[in-house]
Amino acid sequence: MIGTLAPHGVAPDGMAHGIDRRGLLRVAGAGVLSAGLAGCGLPVARTPIKGGRLRVATATSSTADTLDPAKQGIATDYCRGAMFYDGLTVIDEHSRPQMALAEAIETRDAREWTIKLRPGVRFHDGTALTARDVVYSLRRHLDPAVGSKARVFAQQMTEVRAIGTDQVRITLSGPNADLPIILAIPHFLIVRADTTDFRLANGTGPFRCREFDPGIRSVGVRNDDYWGTHAHLGEVEIFSIADDSARVNALMSGDIDLINEINPRIINQLKRAGFGVLESPSGGYTDLVIRVDQGHGRHPDFVTAMKLLMNRETMRDAIFRGYAKIANDQPIPPSSPYFNPTVPKRPFDPERAGFLFRKAGLAGATIPIVTSTAANKSDDIAVVMQDAARHAGIKFDIRRVPADGYWTSSWMKVPVGFGNVNARPTPDIIFTQFFSSTAPWNESGWKDARFDRLLLLARGDTDESRRRQIYGEMQQMVHDHSGIGIPLFVSSLDAYGPKVRGLRPMPGAGLMGYRFASHVWLDGA
Amino acid sequence: MTASLWVTRLIAGRIASAVFTLFLVSLAVFAVSLLMGGDAAEAILGQSATPEALAGLRASMHLDQPAPQRYLGWLIGLLHGDPGTSLVTGRPIGGMIAPRLANSLLLAGLTALVSVPVALTLGILAAVKRGGTFDRVVGIATIGIVSVPEFLIATVAVLIFAVTLHWLPALSSLRDVDSIYELLRVFALPVMSLACVTVAQMIRMTRAAVCDALTSSYVEAARLKGVPPRRLVLGHALPNAIGPIANAVALSLSALLGGVIVIEVIFNYPGVARLMVDAVATRDMPLVQTVAMIFSASYLVLVTTADIVAILANPRLRHQ
Amino acid sequence: MRRPRIALAVGATLVGAALLSALVGPLLAPHSIGAVVDLDVFSPSSAAFPLGTDYLGRDVLSRVLTATRYTVFISFVATMIAASVGIFFGLAAASGSWLDMVLSRLFDIVIAIPSLMFGLVVITSLGASIPVLIGTLAVVYTPGAFRTARALALNVAALDFITVARSRGEGLSYIVLREILPNLIGPLAADFGLRFVFVALLLSGLSFLGLGVQPPYADLGALVRENIAGLGFGAPAVLFPALALASLTVGLNLTIDTLTGGRKATR
Repeated sequence: MIGTLAPHGVAPDGMAHGIDRRGLLRVAGAGVLSAGLAGCGLPVARTPIKGGRLRVATATSSTADTLDPAKQGIATDYCRGAMFYDGLTVIDEHSRPQMALAEAIETRDAREWTIKLRPGVRFHDGTALTARDVVYSLRRHLDPAVGSKARVFAQQMTEVRAIGTDQVRITLSGPNADLPIILAIPHFLIVRADTTDFRLANGTGPFRCREFDPGIRSVGVRNDDYWGTHAHLGEVEIFSIADDSARVNALMSGDIDLINEINPRIINQLKRAGFGVLESPSGGYTDLVIRVDQGHGRHPDFVTAMKLLMNRETMRDAIFRGYAKIANDQPIPPSSPYFNPTVPKRPFDPERAGFLFRKAGLAGATIPIVTSTAANKSDDIAVVMQDAARHAGIKFDIRRVPADGYWTSSWMKVPVGFGNVNARPTPDIIFTQFFSSTAPWNESGWKDARFDRLLLLARGDTDESRRRQIYGEMQQMVHDHSGIGIPLFVSSLDAYGPKVRGLRPMPGAGLMGYRFASHVWLDGA
Repeated sequence: MTASLWVTRLIAGRIASAVFTLFLVSLAVFAVSLLMGGDAAEAILGQSATPEALAGLRASMHLDQPAPQRYLGWLIGLLHGDPGTSLVTGRPIGGMIAPRLANSLLLAGLTALVSVPVALTLGILAAVKRGGTFDRVVGIATIGIVSVPEFLIATVAVLIFAVTLHWLPALSSLRDVDSIYELLRVFALPVMSLACVTVAQMIRMTRAAVCDALTSSYVEAARLKGVPPRRLVLGHALPNAIGPIANAVALSLSALLGGVIVIEVIFNYPGVARLMVDAVATRDMPLVQTVAMIFSASYLVLVTTADIVAILANPRLRHQ
Repeated sequence: MRRPRIALAVGATLVGAALLSALVGPLLAPHSIGAVVDLDVFSPSSAAFPLGTDYLGRDVLSRVLTATRYTVFISFVATMIAASVGIFFGLAAASGSWLDMVLSRLFDIVIAIPSLMFGLVVITSLGASIPVLIGTLAVVYTPGAFRTARALALNVAALDFITVARSRGEGLSYIVLREILPNLIGPLAADFGLRFVFVALLLSGLSFLGLGVQPPYADLGALVRENIAGLGFGAPAVLFPALALASLTVGLNLTIDTLTGGRKATR
């Protein structure tokens, strides 16, 4: 294992008082390299080498690949986006926002924000970055025809307007101290004003887009006019190999340098052969979704019994080979500064589960459970639960359905099924998107007025300790009452060839939070 | 009626029937797509689909038009030689398909070049020596190999030749090809894996058909007349077996375009099979329709050729 | 005639073993098929787990024994249906040019529908169950059986003795059943054996569509697929299911070949 993230107490403190974070990015960048080297157990004190071509194979890509930040949906898209574009802010290894295209972000009431843009930034076509580009990039998410996946966040911005050429004023519908983090989500990467054609990318990012062939491959070359720390690599080729074994074999044969989503079972084999493995502990999870507004889920005892049937240790060891952290049926991971350690751990207790099933009048019943490869490893999680269910006097009927159409036709519709949630940078985002009564993806249909009030309270509050307390209580509420069972927080696992240097874990996602291209270099390139 | 005129009329008739079949196929694919549920907007938004986002995206893709109208639009475009633009990428479909089709045809062609001669030779030899050791070995080996899932064959081949021995590349990228030698290196593994799957049907049908012909009364009669064994096989038995053999070859080769998804994925080879899977997954209907036309057309070309070859090889069929 | 007898014995033994395991295998399984019984995964053979453990640490022997039942039963029924329907229509097509036209076009269209779309439509409209699975497999492989039967029958129908029978004034059904069919048994049986292999393989391919056998059960091909990561270190979890599948299909085809191979055309 490559080290975990140290929890830290200081989150976006002071954001509300207007703080200038100029220059912080560079400082963070320098820290990166030594940490990466030490963490990977490689010889330290070697200066990065410029140039070389890195070949990267991810697990998914299709004709739906996109260079439009608003439409990005898969790891391959995010990697490309991070190469070709920049956001106003960027999230660092402590999950805190750092300035990127924004030079300073100021607010008095967490409702009206002023963003000062970094001067001297140019798009790849040579034009200078202005406030108009930022306004366009943020406002286009509201147009349904764009098909933006960040529309919910854009809708909070009731007004986005340019003040002169280098300042943008954002007015929110209500106070939200997390705006600097929201601006860092990949969909809010900045494109040139009036861009509608995304066949090639015209961004400000560290790489220029030389080739983009959806479902086949993309090539980026280093942007030597980049405003920030220049990338080391001369060129990055990115494509996908959907077959897990084929991806590993291509890495081991030397055809490619970096892959994501590796099977934890082959890690020892890879390491023995001289390949590196990057473990990024994340807050992502696959969750059991029990609708509390239909079927057996209406009975709270049934919901609790189902959560008690999860043998989290076995799941961690058998399914993820230890590359996961035990979770406690609430979505805030232990690495988060807002994590509440006082929520009692829910044990694996088939006996008590059996008792609760009987209490709910379900002794000997057969429960249909819907799984799909769309929800990562839900098949295996269900199988482990199925075996435990036998000891609780109940039968699980696993119904594996195709990944195709899963999110629209099965997810949140079947009484018992699975979801799959990627790490979100703040409690506010995850609670707003997945747990509030009006959440678009309120997976279990759990609604609680007090929870909603607490959410608004914390969002507008700028006092860190009060926020931590409120979020702590909300974690307990989700743990106790929602229909969501979260067994584990899963680590992302990437593997790389012997020449690849500079990789280190970032929170939230593998491949250095999709930003490997800016940091990696090739030895002997 | 002269033979050439007869053949011309036969072929013309088959082409007309094939065009009509293609039209029916497009109708069938359209009907199936209606049953399949979901549309491109849902597929693109995936987990983040909300009703209003869906509505907006649908409008921008013209998915709010009735399905029959969209189908007719595509059909009319196709008649003018333009299959339209992809809903998902917004690019012209012709331009998306052309390079991938060329790739697929190259892979299929090379596979056919390897597998057809091998299969026919082994099949005929096994028939001639039927019941003997050679026949048994070929029979068992054929079934043994074809019953190994192709992803296993391909993965084992990559493990041996690319990962362990480093003789061949694990991925088949045409970009690195600048000589015949490189071409052979790049295609060796995918062609070998595909050949393992395709030869079986051809070997078995060739053997069975030739066996039958060899035991038929007229070959028996020829044998009694003292025709030498080689001429007995090639001159008397084979012509009568060509119909079923051609049919087996056509059926085996027809799978080489759309049925090679596993090989395309494992070797990261950008062909039409993957394009079709992507198109179905994203409900990119104009693309699905067009690729389905191509698959169907290639199948029709192959089986029609097999029919015609069968008729030409067996003069008696002409009088049917 | 020594060789055929040995071949038949070997073939029959393999098929018999598969049938036996299909019938009583699950009863002999030492562990529950879904239970994680080993802390390690992809373990090699041991006294406790004769065929090692799989990617989750489940007993491979138990899983293979149970999977054989699914592969044998489903593939056999599906192939039987595909072959019967295909042969019936194939012979019908060979006996009349008008019928031939209609049937050929029909099957051309069936074969042109992308199997992925077909599978998705089946699962959305009919749901997943073993009968649906069998039906899907049968539909996918019927056009091939049809074309093979048709090509063989056309070839035979053109032979002299058929013409003679026709001129004798025999009815169509007599000609098809008594004159044509007996002459096709060999190649049709060969085709059946091969089609069985294809069906058994597609069976595991359908599981990613959700159409396959549902967990914790699996078919032999699915066992190979789910354990493929163990290939790099030669895990028995991937080798034994593959071996079981291959021996079943080789046995079946050996039996078919020896039973029909010696058969001669009647005239």
